[in-house]
Amino acid sequence: MRNPKLLWPAFVLVILAQLLVPGKMVWDKEMVRIAGTEYKFRTAPFDPRDPFRGKYIDLSYTDTAIEVENTWLWGPDDVVYLEFSTDPDGFAQIESYSKTIPTGTRDYLLAHVEYVRGRDSIVEIRYPFDRLYLEESKAEAAEMAYRSALQNGDQTTYARVAIRDGDAVLQDVFIDDVSIREAAANWVED
Amino acid sequence: MSLQKNVSELLEAGVIDRETADQIQAYFQAKKAKSGNRLFLVFGILGAILVGLGLILVIAHNWDELPKVAKTLLAFLPLVLGQGLCGYTLLKRKDSVAWRESTTAFLFLAVGACISLISQIYNFPGRVDSFLLTWMLLGLPLVYAMRSSVTSLMYVIGISWYACESGYGSNWNGALLEPNYYWGLLLLVLPHYGQLVRRHPGSNFVTAHNWLIALSLIVCLGIVTQEEVEIMFVAYFSLFGLLFLVGDLDTFRSPRRWTHAFQILGSAGTVILLLILSFDDFWRFLPQRMSSLGQVLSGPEVYVAAGLTLLSGGLLYRHVRQRGWQQMEPIAPVFGLFVLTFGLGIFVPIGEFLIDLYLLVVGVRIIVKGARQDHLGVLNYGLLIIVALAACRFFDAELSFVLRGILFITVGIGFFAANFWMLKKKQAHAQS
Repeated sequence: MRNPKLLWPAFVLVILAQLLVPGKMVWDKEMVRIAGTEYKFRTAPFDPRDPFRGKYIDLSYTDTAIEVENTWLWGPDDVVYLEFSTDPDGFAQIESYSKTIPTGTRDYLLAHVEYVRGRDSIVEIRYPFDRLYLEESKAEAAEMAYRSALQNGDQTTYARVAIRDGDAVLQDVFIDDVSIREAAANWVED
Repeated sequence: MSLQKNVSELLEAGVIDRETADQIQAYFQAKKAKSGNRLFLVFGILGAILVGLGLILVIAHNWDELPKVAKTLLAFLPLVLGQGLCGYTLLKRKDSVAWRESTTAFLFLAVGACISLISQIYNFPGRVDSFLLTWMLLGLPLVYAMRSSVTSLMYVIGISWYACESGYGSNWNGALLEPNYYWGLLLLVLPHYGQLVRRHPGSNFVTAHNWLIALSLIVCLGIVTQEEVEIMFVAYFSLFGLLFLVGDLDTFRSPRRWTHAFQILGSAGTVILLLILSFDDFWRFLPQRMSSLGQVLSGPEVYVAAGLTLLSGGLLYRHVRQRGWQQMEPIAPVFGLFVLTFGLGIFVPIGEFLIDLYLLVVGVRIIVKGARQDHLGVLNYGLLIIVALAACRFFDAELSFVLRGILFITVGIGFFAANFWMLKKKQAHAQS
């Protein structure tokens, strides 16, 4: 930038934007975490790696199907607003869905359609909380702990997620009410 | 030391006078200081990039022991440090290229580290494209505010990565962002590039930009593809033609051949495409694929191809006007010939034969050019094209083994003879 009069205001604007954008990310997520409603979603994780953000567990969920009347109204990547209730075991279940923002509540989630099964009138949903980042040394042990839990058959794995105004924060993943981080640490000790 | 000794010797012998001796010494001392500055620049930039990348890796470890607040503060620490360093540079070291480039490179990487740590702390979904887009948009203003070319190079890499993630990546992690934002993002950095070319033509930064921008365009042009893959061959031929002809403009001329990024990539790309299309697979299905004009015209490919062909056509016209038909570069008209061949290939099955012919003519003309310029590299490039053509025909031509053998022996002897003749000529030239 050649104009010295503009240089400083421009530089200040740039550094403000660089602080505000990540700051807003933190603020939004903290609002969801503090003021949002928490649900437990049944999961099935495995363990890949991200070039920037390190090791994580990739999560998929069991209750992702909604039955719709007109499947032709839905297509992959469509936005869907979901409201949840809790089943007798304490896990989240989809209570209602809509293409527009629900009114009168802040307790809803913005998700996307994964794919549509026209024959069964089913729309499969993709939740926007598919990764749990872990310390790199723990990711492998976490997966081992999870697999071992699966082999036992009687253990339940779930994710604890806070939801508010369409946004979500994945808090932690649990194996039988024990955080996966703890489970990973214990698994190494075994 | 040896310079000092030589100058003193020349002075004593009366070959040069005192004034000349002083001038020689002053010249070499200034040169030495300049090269010292350049080293400082290179190591400054390398250091900043290494520290920045190291930070990203340390952050990727994801320290579980640290509470959320500490992790969040840590995410902002390199960012604030980088901003402070850039602020200091603007205040005190505004005219030092090394300070500007290295502090800005660090800040650019710190922005990426900050966003990635926050997305890690709050378990953001696994979307690299949106992460890259945010990073690049927050980093781009630094190119202009700090006049940093290293940052603009990293930005070009970043937006190309974005284009590849959103244009070619799988969407199993969620809907992808629009890949064609790439073109807008690229346009945003071009004013800096233009300024660099105008103010410092032939500099290393210009060369690095030439290589990266050309490679980025080649890698990312494919993101416009929807259904009409065949039309994209026209688009790519025209892109390579365009790159080659842009490289031929006076602005990009330089005695150092490796700096000719546009020409090298344009020429190599054209030859590789010709070799691929010298097989009949493409031409066999072309009439069938191009049967529905309505469908072809409904896709974006045809408009991209037409735009690129028009641009290259304009530059070709300029090239021919300046040099005349005789002196035209062998690669320059190939994109135009391909457009004609493509059109012809829809109706008449002669595409692969014409492509063979172009390869042969281009190869021979490059050999002749190399011989005229006494340039061994150019001569061998031409020979290599002929060898590649012969090798391709070795696999699919319905020729007898004897004929193929003779063909190869002839090409081999030609290779040897041309090099031998050229070296002899050079030796004779050196002796005379």
